[in-house]
Amino acid sequence: MGKYRVAVDTGGTFTDVFIFEEEFGEVIVQKVPSTPHNPSEAIVAGMEKAGISMQDVQLFSHGTTVGTNALITRNLPLTGMINTKGFRDVIEIRRSTKPDLWDHYKDVAPPHVPRRHRLEVTERIDYGGNVVKPLDETEARQVAEIFKKRGMKAVAVCFMNSYMNGEHEQRVKQIVQEVMPEAYVCTSNELLPDIFEHERFSTCVINAVLGPVVSDYLKDLVSKLKGLGYKGDILVLHSGGGVMKAETVTSYASRIASSGIAAGAIAMNQTAQLCGYPNAMGLDMGGTSADISLTYGGELRMANEWQVEFGYPIMYPSIEVITIGAGGGSIAWVDPGGSLRNGPQSAGAEPGPACYQAGGMEPTNTDANLVLGRLNTNLLEGGMQISKEAAEAAVDKIAKHYGMSLVDAAYSILKVANANMCDALRLISVQRGYDPRDFALVGFGGAGPLHAAYLARELEIPTVIIPRYPGVHAALGCLLVDVRHDLQKTYLATSASAQIEEIEDIFEQLEAEARALLKQEGMTGERVELKRVMDIRYIGQWRQLAVNVPRPITTLDKALEVFHAEHERQFSWSNPDQVVEIYGLRVTAIGKVPMPSFNKADNGDQAVMPEPRQVRPVFFEKAGGFVDTPVYRRRDLPPGAKLRGPAIVEQLDTTTVIPVGVKARIDDYLNIIMDISR
Amino acid sequence: MAKTNLDPVTFEVLKNAYGNLVDQMSEQVLRTCYSFVIYCRDFSSALCDANGDTIMQGSQDIAVHVGTLHLTAKAILRAFGDDIHEGDIFIFNDPYEGGTHFCDVRIVKPVFFEGEIVAFTLSNGHWADVGGKVPGSFDITAKDHYGEGTRITPLRIWDRGRYLDDVANCLVANMRGSEDRLGDLRAQAEACNVGEREFLRLIAKYGKDTVLLAARECQNYVERIARSRIAEIPDGQWETVDFIDQDPDLGEGLIPIKVKMTIKGDQVHYDLTGSHPIVGCFLNSAYPATLSALVAGSKAFFPDIPLNAGFFRVFDVTVPEGCVANAPWPTAVTGFCSGVYEKAQAAVIELWSELMPERALGCAFNLEYLLIGGWDRRPGFGNFFMWYDWMAGGHGGRSTKDGSNCTAAVFGLGLSIQPCEGQERLTPVITDEHSILTDSAGPGKFRGGCGLTKGGTVMSCEGSVMSYCCDRARSIAFGIWGGLPSIPQGLWKNKGRDDEAFLGAIFSGVPVNAGDTFTRPSAGGGGLGDPLERDPLMVLEDVIDGYVSIERAKKDYGVVVVENDPILLDYEIDMAATEKERAHIRQNRVAWMKEDPGKVLQMLVDGEIDEMDVVRRYGVILDWGIKQVLPKSTAQFRQMLEKRTVSHWS
Repeated sequence: MGKYRVAVDTGGTFTDVFIFEEEFGEVIVQKVPSTPHNPSEAIVAGMEKAGISMQDVQLFSHGTTVGTNALITRNLPLTGMINTKGFRDVIEIRRSTKPDLWDHYKDVAPPHVPRRHRLEVTERIDYGGNVVKPLDETEARQVAEIFKKRGMKAVAVCFMNSYMNGEHEQRVKQIVQEVMPEAYVCTSNELLPDIFEHERFSTCVINAVLGPVVSDYLKDLVSKLKGLGYKGDILVLHSGGGVMKAETVTSYASRIASSGIAAGAIAMNQTAQLCGYPNAMGLDMGGTSADISLTYGGELRMANEWQVEFGYPIMYPSIEVITIGAGGGSIAWVDPGGSLRNGPQSAGAEPGPACYQAGGMEPTNTDANLVLGRLNTNLLEGGMQISKEAAEAAVDKIAKHYGMSLVDAAYSILKVANANMCDALRLISVQRGYDPRDFALVGFGGAGPLHAAYLARELEIPTVIIPRYPGVHAALGCLLVDVRHDLQKTYLATSASAQIEEIEDIFEQLEAEARALLKQEGMTGERVELKRVMDIRYIGQWRQLAVNVPRPITTLDKALEVFHAEHERQFSWSNPDQVVEIYGLRVTAIGKVPMPSFNKADNGDQAVMPEPRQVRPVFFEKAGGFVDTPVYRRRDLPPGAKLRGPAIVEQLDTTTVIPVGVKARIDDYLNIIMDISR
Repeated sequence: MAKTNLDPVTFEVLKNAYGNLVDQMSEQVLRTCYSFVIYCRDFSSALCDANGDTIMQGSQDIAVHVGTLHLTAKAILRAFGDDIHEGDIFIFNDPYEGGTHFCDVRIVKPVFFEGEIVAFTLSNGHWADVGGKVPGSFDITAKDHYGEGTRITPLRIWDRGRYLDDVANCLVANMRGSEDRLGDLRAQAEACNVGEREFLRLIAKYGKDTVLLAARECQNYVERIARSRIAEIPDGQWETVDFIDQDPDLGEGLIPIKVKMTIKGDQVHYDLTGSHPIVGCFLNSAYPATLSALVAGSKAFFPDIPLNAGFFRVFDVTVPEGCVANAPWPTAVTGFCSGVYEKAQAAVIELWSELMPERALGCAFNLEYLLIGGWDRRPGFGNFFMWYDWMAGGHGGRSTKDGSNCTAAVFGLGLSIQPCEGQERLTPVITDEHSILTDSAGPGKFRGGCGLTKGGTVMSCEGSVMSYCCDRARSIAFGIWGGLPSIPQGLWKNKGRDDEAFLGAIFSGVPVNAGDTFTRPSAGGGGLGDPLERDPLMVLEDVIDGYVSIERAKKDYGVVVVENDPILLDYEIDMAATEKERAHIRQNRVAWMKEDPGKVLQMLVDGEIDEMDVVRRYGVILDWGIKQVLPKSTAQFRQMLEKRTVSHWS
């Protein structure tokens, strides 16, 4: 029996490894360069570097960008689509909109399956699920033969109104499987029996194109890890914030297309809960972008859909993450109207900020932080030298333009970057009816801890949490999740006409399906937890609210009460006398994975403050300029240590800024907790 | 606390905060609105200064409202003057005073700080019905506004915080779906409250003076960028014309809308003098909507500049009163969006395409609305239904690539189409086909985007009628720089049956019964550049995808494609035959465009050519239903082709 639990988060640039030793609660972290041509190589390399044998690993969980990358690069297997006659262009027509309303030269990406590979068969089902035109099986077989000749690897079967009746789709799937047994085949009904053709078809097509990609990748990973002696399951993180077993993922490939992004949000939530903050926002800021997420009452905010490219939604519940172009490498620039801007263009890893002296000449946030003394010229504990002179030369461009001092220019650059991030935080909080003053902010990623305190101050967020390993914090998110499946079914009725027995039946059907899925993954009995949700709206409205309902459901009263209250909270209006409409029924099924418990330190109050490693001048506006600031090494700080800003805390890949007057302490889990309240 | 000097950081922060504020207003509307037209994003939000001029508009706002929001705020100021109080909210939809058409209902709230007005928040949404003779309030036969819908002149709907339900009820009592209209009203009013709250939060934080200064500076900033770009363009004068299909009172003949653009220094002047007088149907537009078309058309060439009053300052506009683009009260203007708006915008886009070829665009398909309303008699139903549909279509060819396929109308690129599955659930109309129409794109070196075809069958219903608001059955979406036009728009009822009828691009109140079918195309976009210069390989790819047929590849592009094995997608170009075909077309095409229209019609009747040849090869316009030459329209269309297409052929 192994004693390690391993979580690996494969990102675009780095593969992060987070290893938890169960007996003593020891943590090992590693960061190795990603290997996009075959991501499992980096995983193996990371394990080797950590010095842990796969034979000693008890459970391996994984967040991956394999799906996201395949979609972005469009490096996809040959895929065909079969549609109802007259409707083969649904995924090309989409909803017809463009994200940039005024730029006629910016196009929406083409559909994942080109028109030539979208073929039609005669069949039609109406809104009630009744067959209007029977399926022409001869045509279906002809289409399958054509796809076989063309060497298709995957086929998506998408018919009109199949959310009400999936029989025609199923029959065609059988025929295709008979004709081409090797192909990956999925139908829109089995993935998502939900109204609205484009959204359902889009989900199905993305699932089809990812199916072979994801299963090939996981097959390779499974065999590599097995070869190294691993005997357990491989759990893969999906957009809904749960994991699925590698074997199940193959059928729901589109669910893991945002696997990587979800990890950071989950880790944020875990840390916030551990520290006793039920409400928190996450700022995961890396080199090119910042991912922002929110948890309320311990529950991560979810969205009903998400997309990798505009116009092609994947309609599974997913953790809501707002990504903006604000990272360490984001470039500051002056626009033609004379306004100081920041991002979204980024110097990225290549050429990188000016201070890397690798060809980058434009001022970035990293350069501004260096000019202000917040970053050390010596990074990665001596592994990398950066040039303050080069940073100054770049920032000077901004200074010259406005006729301000170098330092003012650097500070202005950061203020604009911070304001952009505040807007994104406002978007996910204020705009959704949450008051930032009731929240904590968890700052992580390579650059998050440099900025978090300033964002909190701007938004009057009273507490900032910097986790112990900010640079690999997201990987922790893969370690700490349960198996999760989300199932849904369109159900339309008013609160007056709804048949409670019928609703109970549908919920039971969904739950039976969910139990079957969990059983395949070895989850039964007490480890299974089922949650019911009902989508409700006022009649005539177009958006619905999700309301938790009990099991079994015997009356609608409680659900309606919650609905009116939530509508009031979010939209400042409700009317309990108005008839409402039930729109959809959903079940979330959780299979409990035993959680590791982190060690709590016990030398709480008698912490001995270490000496700073260095004292250097750092700019703080509140101090009126540069002040001598103590610089601590993160691993020197024991639980219970207390700091008062100005102070800087450095560790392998992250620097934390504690501004003037801010009190900070190291908690029992070695998180830095800053008190921003005045 | 209040500082009056504005540093670059505070400015950038507040500029973004204003953008964030209007987007928050939009989100509020989306989440709580009742009209599906609004939900599909036919709405906009704005923050205006105390004079009514816009400080910021929503980033996803619909183009057609662009130039009118400030006029709405000014109309309220003009009407109420000193009689505006804290807690008041106003409602308005008057096209003659600053609206677009009656369906676009605007809610305006003054923002007070320490007793004085510091701003206005404004929410505009397209209500699904505002009364009048036909469901959806699109009555093509209307000559004046009385039959069109409820005209709301500046009106107080909250008085010092007290909701005037008697006033609101009186308004919505004149509209179909009164309860839903109250829902829209509430959603929009709440959006204004959201904007107000956010603006006051900014004042509390930065001080009134700084916030107002930054607002003014936002307008100056936009003006500064716009002027610096315009100044780079050499002074000059350019003119063009686009057409509405006809004036039903005058018989056949295209209706010209002339646009003359003058650039002098950093100022642009548009003059519509010489445009046709008002027409006898609702395709006219009042001044505000025309201004919107001109500004929105220009904006396509400055996509990165934010929209506010600063942008408008760069443009002067002259539109003589009484012309089709400045219809006085009480002329019917509800169909302006399919009529004048699209034409004025297309004309402006053509003019700018000459000046900024890197952003050039051929003409796009015409915005269209199809409505079927009546009593739903499906088992279990019995309600009054409205099947209210609009299509995506093709956009014009571009200087570096083809036009975009099946995209929302230029009228508003954020206006999303509705899912057929939703429509089928709510109404007794089943869609038979919704797909890309082969050969619908205007040929060119870079072809237009492909248009669509959508049609259906009416199921069990009673007392149902169909109305259509469209255009360009005759003034077909044009190509530029040698590119060819696309295809005529217009609706067929019961096509292929004995009782088939071409109902054209505008009609209303046509009775429909269970079993009736209908179909109509949305056109493709016009082509850009000489189609004979199109890379044959691109034509080949289009054939493989079925965007272009083998037949038209030969006729329109002179590219001869051989089909070896369609199953394996094995097609190839016959290069020798292609060269020969291209030489043949090159030699004859100028003469074809001068062929006697009567002879062209005869060839069509004899089956030697088809309707696409009639338009693209011979430049002839017919009454597509009864197959009759329209001599005046043909002469005008050929004159247009001469300038935009034929004169560019080498």
